[in-house]
Amino acid sequence: MGSKLDAEIMSPVSAFTPQMLVVASLAAAIIIMIALVLLTRRNSAARGDVILLVGLPDAGKTAIMTTLTYKQTLPTHTSMQANSVVVPLGDKSCRVIDIPGHPRIRDQFREYIPSARGIVFVVDSSTVSRNGPAAAEHLHQVMHAITSLPPSKATPSLLILAHKCDLLKSTAQATPAQLAINRARTILERELEKRRASQTSGVGIEGLGAEGSEIDLGGLECTGTGEFRFADWEGGEVAFAGTSVAVGQAASVSDYADDKAVESDGLSSLCQWLEDQL
Amino acid sequence: MLDYCSISHKSGILLWSRSFAPTSHAAGSVTSPVSSLVREALVEGRTADNSFEKNGLAFKWTFVNDLELIFVVAWQRILQLTYVEDLLNALKTVFLKLFEPFLTAFVASLHAASSVSGQASSTWNFATAFENWDSVFDKILRGFEEKATQDRRSRAKPAIRPAAEPSPPSDDSSTIPSQSNAVAVDEQQIARNVEALRNRLRGRGGRTGRRGPARGDTSSGRDSGPPSDSDTPAKRKSKAKAQRKWGDEAPSESEMASLDFSYETVEAHNKGAPDLAALVDEGSLGTRTQDGLYEVKDWEFTSGTDDVIAQMLKNDTRSTPASSSGSLGALGSLFARLTGSKVLTESDLKPVLEGMKQHLMKKNVAKEIAEKVCEGVGESLIGKKVGGFQTTNAAVRSALSNSLTRILTPKTSTDLLLSIRTKMSSPLPSTQQRLPYSITFVGVNGVGKSTNLSKVCFWLIQNNLRVLIAACDTFRSGAVEQLRVHVRNLSMLGVNGATNSKGRVELYERGYGKDAAGIAKEAIAYARDNDFDVVLIDTAGRMQDNEPLMRALAKLVAVNNPDKIIFVGEALVGNEAVDQLTKFDRALRDFSASSGGKERGIDGMLVTKWDTVDDKVGAALSMTYVTGQPIIFVGCGQTYTDLRQLRVANVVQAILSD
Repeated sequence: MGSKLDAEIMSPVSAFTPQMLVVASLAAAIIIMIALVLLTRRNSAARGDVILLVGLPDAGKTAIMTTLTYKQTLPTHTSMQANSVVVPLGDKSCRVIDIPGHPRIRDQFREYIPSARGIVFVVDSSTVSRNGPAAAEHLHQVMHAITSLPPSKATPSLLILAHKCDLLKSTAQATPAQLAINRARTILERELEKRRASQTSGVGIEGLGAEGSEIDLGGLECTGTGEFRFADWEGGEVAFAGTSVAVGQAASVSDYADDKAVESDGLSSLCQWLEDQL
Repeated sequence: MLDYCSISHKSGILLWSRSFAPTSHAAGSVTSPVSSLVREALVEGRTADNSFEKNGLAFKWTFVNDLELIFVVAWQRILQLTYVEDLLNALKTVFLKLFEPFLTAFVASLHAASSVSGQASSTWNFATAFENWDSVFDKILRGFEEKATQDRRSRAKPAIRPAAEPSPPSDDSSTIPSQSNAVAVDEQQIARNVEALRNRLRGRGGRTGRRGPARGDTSSGRDSGPPSDSDTPAKRKSKAKAQRKWGDEAPSESEMASLDFSYETVEAHNKGAPDLAALVDEGSLGTRTQDGLYEVKDWEFTSGTDDVIAQMLKNDTRSTPASSSGSLGALGSLFARLTGSKVLTESDLKPVLEGMKQHLMKKNVAKEIAEKVCEGVGESLIGKKVGGFQTTNAAVRSALSNSLTRILTPKTSTDLLLSIRTKMSSPLPSTQQRLPYSITFVGVNGVGKSTNLSKVCFWLIQNNLRVLIAACDTFRSGAVEQLRVHVRNLSMLGVNGATNSKGRVELYERGYGKDAAGIAKEAIAYARDNDFDVVLIDTAGRMQDNEPLMRALAKLVAVNNPDKIIFVGEALVGNEAVDQLTKFDRALRDFSASSGGKERGIDGMLVTKWDTVDDKVGAALSMTYVTGQPIIFVGCGQTYTDLRQLRVANVVQAILSD
């Protein structure tokens, strides 16, 4: 086929005019540029375009989602299914997926991880001292999933969101948000260190059935030799933020604008992080 | 009457709620009643019996699958509310009619597929969207409550319902005479019998004592005659005459005759009067119930002069049969499927679900559990749209797979090693000595408690833990010796290059016939003093129905408060699994709660003899469904290393495979 075409082009020698060559080279350049643009688009798509909201039940994931989407905080109860919403951020918008936190259905987040751009792990900072081990278990699963992504994929960035920080009392040294962040960080680091120690020293039990899928969760390796620190985590950067929303106060229309201001204050650090991800 | 009512989306967003009790929980807080309902019933797939009780509240709910809505009603459990089901249906119908466009847009916004912002910028006003719903809800609820009180009042009436039920009110005139006739006949007969009896008594009296004068002159005079059975009618006549004489003379005779008849009829009427009232009442009720469910509401609403709601409910009844008949044509359904708008109905699902149920039972899932699981799957699918070429079968299959995964996925951590280490490293007050981590193995006879205990022991030793085995099976001969052999074997096996593991494992035994709870307590104390990390308590096997033995087991649990109670069950078990687990769990909970301690149930399961069942692994599903607790280990062979962890995906695959 190609040779036949070549023959057809080659045979009329008159076609080899300088203009013809210029046009041909221009066309080739345009084609290459389009191809390049397409390839880079593909590259950015490989990083994914969704933000996942994960965390224990009652951490406030759905409340954050409604606040971002509908600009008002709706009352919520335990979710039964994942939600996928489009959140407008300035002139852009991004897709946010809210995964239910119930242990029996939270494994859904694995389906979305390959297409994730960022993962927000929501922690209820008012109960984190009580729920620390459970939260760490979930976070461990998330971190393991991040680190076990194939190398061709860009790793999604991880944000640990100390939510409901309005329930903490501010002290002279720190604002509630800082306090919440500190508390969440120390407790999660302690619990994750326990999990890491147990994992590295223990002899696990084989899984039943097919080989290959590992039963023990890794993903907590640190660059340093010592204890687990978020700063030293090999899986990438971990950001922290403290937020809060006020449920039900944004219900009436009259003080809509007022509430909007309050909300943007409560979730501003999260919005900032989201905008950085775009 | 109601305590709480809410309408929410499956995403967890509460669209509307109202609580009636003053001390009720604020919506959206941790203790929100719907949250506990969702967590403990809906997500766990325990929706089959369609009712749930928590903290003295009873719940009922209904789904709208295409719009993913949940309607929940909660009320005090002690109240018997009969109208809840109808109320839910009415709420569902009216709410959908009123807010369908808004809801569709809302649900669509929760399923944004791409990041293209279509209508994301449009403002959402949830407060105004459901503004007039409050009043509508009030009207509906009032209608049902009024009807309930009416029903109760009519039930309180002493009417003979079953007799009156079949006869329509128009037949009154025909039924009453016949009844009164029967009554009259009966009375005549009774009168005759009484007469005969009296005569016989009198006869005797005449013979023996002659106490005639007490009854008056006339009667005594007649009684003095010869008492013979043959002239009873004559006597009756004469007796009647005597009665007449007792009153007035000649006019009294005719009067009495007429009076007798009139008296009878009056009585009949008197008897008929409550009947009549009941009939009228019953008749109106009858037309109500005969015409069907929706007509009842219709009647209620028209009487409540709320035409809009009534109209909606009426429309709904009309549209349902039409749509179902329209979708009957095979060609039509094919086209509907092609355009992606085929809606699954109950009749579509029924044969498929029946097949699935049979399939599950072939895989050794207990019958009860198979039914419940299939029911739950059906409930979640009715009203869903099936797109493309996906068949009903495929839709059911994927839904079933999801549901099985959800049931089998553990909701608590199954990492035994981590919880042992956590306990060992937790800070303690300096005066207190650290207690070892104790695990109790319970189960019926011959499932492999001791064998699998030794496998767990081997695994713990491999993880550098010191283990003490407490031989609390003081009943079966050879039980202690069996454990002694295991301990001897285990202590000869090396760990991490060491040639043997002497001192890492020991047996604590006190012979046979002793109190198991006491031995376990001593064993834990011994382990604490000798720096053991873990105590494995082996108990005697017992049948779940043997109450004294179950009580003894509960005592062991209550006295020693072990960190984990593991139920050992075999994979061969079929329908029995449900009974075993429920009774063990129940007995442990009841007895441990009654003996003052905190209520303890089974914390996890160990399924043994897994290698004998091939892919008929339904027992795993039955067990996890009944308790809601995870399967921690699976025993699958004869050697110490044949202990495995369950993989949910594998089990689901095995159950679904043909």
